[in-house]
Amino acid sequence: MPEFFHRKVERNAIGFVLAIVGVASIGGFVEIAPLFTIHETVEEAPDMRLYTPLELAGRNIYIREGCYACHSQMIRTLRDEVERYGPYSLAVESKYDHPMLWGSKRTGPDLARVGGKYSDVWQVRHLMNPRDVVPQSIMPRYGWLAKNDLRIDDLGEHLAAQRAVGVPYTQAMIDNATQDAYGQASPDSNYASGVSERYGKATNVRAFDGDPSRVTEMDALVAYLQILGHLTDAAYKQPAAQAEAQE
Amino acid sequence: MDIGHETLVAISKSWGLFYLLAFSVGVMVYAFWPGNRKAFEHARTSILAEDDTPLEPEN
Amino acid sequence: MISRLTLSERQLALGVLLFLGIIGLAMAAAGRNDPLGGQGFIVLLFSVGLAFYVMSGYFAPEPDESRLASYYDDPTKVGIVLAMFWAVIGMAMGVWVAALLAWPELTFVDQAWASFGRLRPVHTSGVIFGFGGNALIATSFHVLQRTSRARLPDQFSPWFVLIGYNLFCIVAASGYLMGITQSKEYAEPEWYADIWLVIVWVVYFLIYLRTLARRKEPHIYVANWYYMAFILVVAVLHIVNNLAVPVSFSHAKSYSLFSGVQDAMTEWWYGHNAVAFFLTSGFLGMMYYYLPKRAGRPIFSYRLSIISFWGITFLYMWAGSHHLHYTALPQWVQTLGMTFSVMLLVPSWASAGNALATLNGAWHKVRDDATLRFMMVAAVFYGLSTFEGSFMAIRPVNSLSHYTDWTIGHVHAGALGWVAMITFGSIYALVPWLWKREAMYSPRLVEVHFWLALAGTIVYVFSMWNSGIIQGLMWRTYNDSGTLAYSFVDSLEAMHPYYIARTFGGLLFLAGAVVGTFNVLKTITLARHESATAAEPDMPAIPATSAVQAGE
Repeated sequence: MPEFFHRKVERNAIGFVLAIVGVASIGGFVEIAPLFTIHETVEEAPDMRLYTPLELAGRNIYIREGCYACHSQMIRTLRDEVERYGPYSLAVESKYDHPMLWGSKRTGPDLARVGGKYSDVWQVRHLMNPRDVVPQSIMPRYGWLAKNDLRIDDLGEHLAAQRAVGVPYTQAMIDNATQDAYGQASPDSNYASGVSERYGKATNVRAFDGDPSRVTEMDALVAYLQILGHLTDAAYKQPAAQAEAQE
Repeated sequence: MDIGHETLVAISKSWGLFYLLAFSVGVMVYAFWPGNRKAFEHARTSILAEDDTPLEPEN
Repeated sequence: MISRLTLSERQLALGVLLFLGIIGLAMAAAGRNDPLGGQGFIVLLFSVGLAFYVMSGYFAPEPDESRLASYYDDPTKVGIVLAMFWAVIGMAMGVWVAALLAWPELTFVDQAWASFGRLRPVHTSGVIFGFGGNALIATSFHVLQRTSRARLPDQFSPWFVLIGYNLFCIVAASGYLMGITQSKEYAEPEWYADIWLVIVWVVYFLIYLRTLARRKEPHIYVANWYYMAFILVVAVLHIVNNLAVPVSFSHAKSYSLFSGVQDAMTEWWYGHNAVAFFLTSGFLGMMYYYLPKRAGRPIFSYRLSIISFWGITFLYMWAGSHHLHYTALPQWVQTLGMTFSVMLLVPSWASAGNALATLNGAWHKVRDDATLRFMMVAAVFYGLSTFEGSFMAIRPVNSLSHYTDWTIGHVHAGALGWVAMITFGSIYALVPWLWKREAMYSPRLVEVHFWLALAGTIVYVFSMWNSGIIQGLMWRTYNDSGTLAYSFVDSLEAMHPYYIARTFGGLLFLAGAVVGTFNVLKTITLARHESATAAEPDMPAIPATSAVQAGE
């Protein structure tokens, strides 16, 4: 019987194709299917906030420059990692990350909780020339970030696309995206108050690159780096987080 | 969709395993089926033929 | 090349290039405020350039029916040259970025396009997709025709696949320099390039089906199974992993449909299976044809090759989650990934063992013939790196190896030792056959290439093993007072000598690829020279009758 069956499968190329697709995809499907319902198992984090337009633009620069290739954003449940980088990462913390930036390599240290660890001035100096602040560093310089003005006119479209993939940006956020990006980096302007109104009081509103007169790519990237690990407090509240992680 | 996370996990844990076992048995049976020996032997040696032109189209 | 196409095939080519040119123009216009515009210009230039080339041969006489009595190998020939070209580009880029990790101030300009983060994907995509992909496409057309004893169904679609695929590679590589990336590892190209690749891939798949439908051998030879699994599964993976919403049609940027843990799982389901079906399955297809052919001996066990085929096809799909041990991914998925990764060792070693057992009794050939030795070493490295892979998928081992250079060492044991070696071996076997010569231009240079490649691989892999394990251990070492013994920077300093050694290993491997490219090009020029000086081909100079009716 199997002889007859497989001979037939083989002779008929289409049948063979279906066999390969079936065999290969069922494995993947069975494993992935439960993940589409994973929101049932992801921790609750009512205080979870969204990236502001400026932070999102910074995140896109982080992606553009390939930072993810050398820096992970995923602290594993291992004691030494928790002690070195902070509480281990929870699934909920990257709930709004399209795409996730967990990374796979630590040529540089993990950045999941780098937000607030260093001052803006340090971050800017480090990005301009890492060896100014860490002499042994092998990270490239990113001088052009301070020179380039950030493109903010299309941030509303970015937020709308984010909403299309499931991030709960409100219409007001989308409509004001450009102003909010400007306001977040220009604390003395009229647009600054709208940012904390829409994204919460805890939002960092300041001239990240030290120059409030213009919004640069440096502003955006530093704003993003300073929020890493601080979208929610969930991980810091986990009782088990600080204690010895499993295994 | 009424299928919850627990159900899907249960399916992948039980039927996934069954699928694996049934599948391996099927492949083994096919590979060792005596009737297939000739076809395999032919395929095995056919690529060594020196002839480097397509066979004549039948029609 | 153009003179071998029929008039209607030439017209089809021009039509497709016109369509592509319009797309390029539209991208350039819509994306004038965005990097998308730059990509549009590249597409436009590419299609206009090719259209000129097609036009240059447009009025040449049409080929006669006698072409149908031989296999159609022109796309394979071009594909081999492109593969060697990409090998040199991709590997040179690899050596350069490796050097940047050892000496970060080497970057000569403080410009975005010249920075490590943008050049690195040019290396990975250049070698995987540029070199590996072209080699797979070229050899698959060759193997498919030989094992089916049938000619390719038409002469246009194989060109469409080869040229279209290279357009994808060019758009991808130039996009990285402009800062266009999805950040999904090994799936960096953005939405428009992804859509284009789907179209190319569908045509590729149809070529396979149409040729198999015409085959004169009742049984589909096992090498084709591997090539087909490569084509099919890569299509499934590519489509699912790249689902995304573009910001707009005038933006290159898109946002992945998945987020967080779901996105991580999808990405590594893709990433690991790209290793399985792009870098393993397709190249096993190569091995199952060119190794027996070159050794002049049939494969040791055909049954074993079938069992390992289904084993690989089935088991790999479950293994991706071993990239996410100890992360926020649910534990049961991690365990599943680990278990299947360990089981994978069985079909993997069955393939490696099958290849080596085929050579049993032909060891004198392996000793004398560097081409066959390339393939043998490839099988050995395949066995080694699959063992290492299963080992590293075990959770406690992974806790040490993950995030370190050990992973890089493992990947290169597979990529240099297995993928590149089997490809070079197959190309050295294939080039003399295709260009109808006794041997390569210089068998001695093949020998030189072999030793450069082997030495380069060993230096590279050993330096990364060392640095990776040292790194992993330093990160988890505690001193007597119970605090971490080393800062991150301490571990970074310890890497420096290994990063230099790694660059040197890569340089050796690159030198080998340059020697190989020279040898291939030289063989081709010699063959052309010989056929030009030999008697003129007895082709009638009168246009075939079908030229008249081809105006529809």
